[in-house]
Amino acid sequence: MKLVLGYLYPSVMSQYGDRGNVLTIQKRCQWRGIDVEVDHLEVGDRVDPDRVDLLLVGGGADTHQRLVCEDLLHVKGDGIRRAVEDGAAAFAVCAGYQLWGHYYRTATGDELPGLGVFPAHTVHRAAQTGTRLDTITKAGSVRAVGNLVVRWGTRVLVGFENHGGRTYLDEEARPFGRVLAGSGNNSEDGWEGCVHNNAIGTYMHGPAFPKNPALADHLIKTALTRRYGSVTLDRLDDARETTARQRALHQATARQGRWRRLWSDGVG
Amino acid sequence: MSRALGRGGGTTLPGHVADRIDPGLIAGLARALPNGCVLVTGTNGKTTTTRIMAGAARAAGLEVITNPEGSNRLGVLEVPDSAIGIFEVDEGALPGAIETLSPRLVVITNLFRDQLDRYFEVDFIAHLWQRALSALGPSATVVLNADDPQVAYLGEGIAARVMYFGLEDRQWARAVLEHAADSRRCPHCSHDLVYEMSFYAHLGHYACKECGWRRPDPRFAAWKVQLQGIEGSESQTSTPAGDRTLRLPLPGLYNACNALAAAAASSCLGVDPDLVQVAAQGTVCAFGRFERISVEGKNAVLLLVKNPTGFNESLRLVLAADGLRYLLLGLNSNSPDGRDVSWIWDVEFEACAGRVEYLAVSGQRANDLALRLKYAGVADSRGGPDASALSSPEAEDIVRAFFAAIEQMPERETLYVLASYTALWTLRRELVQRGYLAPFFQQVEGATR
Repeated sequence: MKLVLGYLYPSVMSQYGDRGNVLTIQKRCQWRGIDVEVDHLEVGDRVDPDRVDLLLVGGGADTHQRLVCEDLLHVKGDGIRRAVEDGAAAFAVCAGYQLWGHYYRTATGDELPGLGVFPAHTVHRAAQTGTRLDTITKAGSVRAVGNLVVRWGTRVLVGFENHGGRTYLDEEARPFGRVLAGSGNNSEDGWEGCVHNNAIGTYMHGPAFPKNPALADHLIKTALTRRYGSVTLDRLDDARETTARQRALHQATARQGRWRRLWSDGVG
Repeated sequence: MSRALGRGGGTTLPGHVADRIDPGLIAGLARALPNGCVLVTGTNGKTTTTRIMAGAARAAGLEVITNPEGSNRLGVLEVPDSAIGIFEVDEGALPGAIETLSPRLVVITNLFRDQLDRYFEVDFIAHLWQRALSALGPSATVVLNADDPQVAYLGEGIAARVMYFGLEDRQWARAVLEHAADSRRCPHCSHDLVYEMSFYAHLGHYACKECGWRRPDPRFAAWKVQLQGIEGSESQTSTPAGDRTLRLPLPGLYNACNALAAAAASSCLGVDPDLVQVAAQGTVCAFGRFERISVEGKNAVLLLVKNPTGFNESLRLVLAADGLRYLLLGLNSNSPDGRDVSWIWDVEFEACAGRVEYLAVSGQRANDLALRLKYAGVADSRGGPDASALSSPEAEDIVRAFFAAIEQMPERETLYVLASYTALWTLRRELVQRGYLAPFFQQVEGATR
């Protein structure tokens, strides 16, 4: 079996260690004897929906978002939409997530049109409150920064978030998970991320996959199932991943009574 | 200030400290400095650059007020006629510092990703700097790294005089940009930059094919840099005052660049280039910048790592060292370290595979490091594939990990400790208490007298 991973904008949209997600997919496939080919799809490169099994896009600075926005709409958009509608797996993080929604209103008030894969829109906090960007001196004042713990189905995921945008889901949209600690989409409604078909949009950096191998395996499995029919993945020794995840959860929630309650409710 | 609180030397905390001191007081004191003041900023290398400059200025007979003894003594200081201020400031603190101190000289070493949760993104910092520098008048000078596109571009269209420094030695050019490179776009028109040479991260010789903007020619250029392992480097440099040799007892290409920055900046202050040579040779390492100590007949070298670029450069140096390599990594996620540790996935740990004798992880985020190593295909000497060895807070203790490593090593071998800010502080404090090291501020003050 072979998995083709389409890594979108590796040079401009991989600012928060999101390359770790690519590495995790590669290794977890390799350990199971599944071949992986990684296509680096930079600005100007098209997405072939029949070739890619899994699309990954990471976070980037606002200036980079403007750069990729146009490329996303006019070069890659069609291929991405067709791949997702056809059931390809996709994982869009932070800026990638925002640009796959309806639109993103930036800190300066410009509206960047999105791909519309996710029924959601994003507004930068500074645009929401009318704060002038050049008056900001502390990151924390407009950005949601910190550990992010999310309940995803019956599982708990842990990562790190760092975003100025607040994302609001359309009424019919399916959120990715429930925020247990952190801000998630907008720190208001308790939802995190968005799901459409087999595409997941999320604010979870960290990077997300290494410490949440179940999430990585879920995407590998959906990606392969589309091409090969029902697929069973071999079990891997995830002792290292589990320990790292549990320590990170402990550190993320050490001062959060709310978390303890959920933990004792048996979530995990 | 932090020393008075018993929290260690506190010498690299001025950016935070400056926030809490009455700005009016500082502005008044700055006006009282007869020779004005210099601000040094950048992601990496600001401490070393500041130190070399301070040493050269002292050798030139100036009374230098600088960070180690600076911030808390300003208020009671009698300012002699020969006083000059040379201050290192955090990236985010530069605009405020320029406003209150009206510096005659600003030095910017480079701009990398560093603790994004504290300082936003590199583009935002570049934007802050651009605005701050545009407030400087024509009597001020800005010293910029020509090899860093975003930093070099800061020299465009400002009233202040601009002096560039840069590397011209082709032997250090690499074929491809590293993954940790942050700035690959033309700061003028946002198109791709084409690199004729790339030294490390996004530093190199570049040009934009679209708008024609290119790396400015540096007046201070190192045209031949010889690296002497962890012992240091020797650079042949061309300066407006003629060719000079800069010897530095600190290792690595990036430190050679720091010395070049200091030489360029010192010349702007009118300091004799020969004095810069002397100061560079006498540089004492800053906190965690290759501090060497001896413990139980074995050696240890302490290296501070805070971002992918610095980490990659440190790893490269360690892996280039002779003999067996013993490594201890330490990663914390307290606010000075940066709470986000995702950047370790941009560090090329893959380079360690099969090349280290011993490698252990420690710190609050020891498990994140262990996981990163697993995916890099590098074996962890303590944990093995069974993760239970790292599942307790005790196992994450960098001091325990340090002495465990020392115990296992043969005599005369060297343990390289690569650790984040508070992890390194924790270890240093313990080493001081056990008498292996002098407290850092004593060392610094002793060295700078």
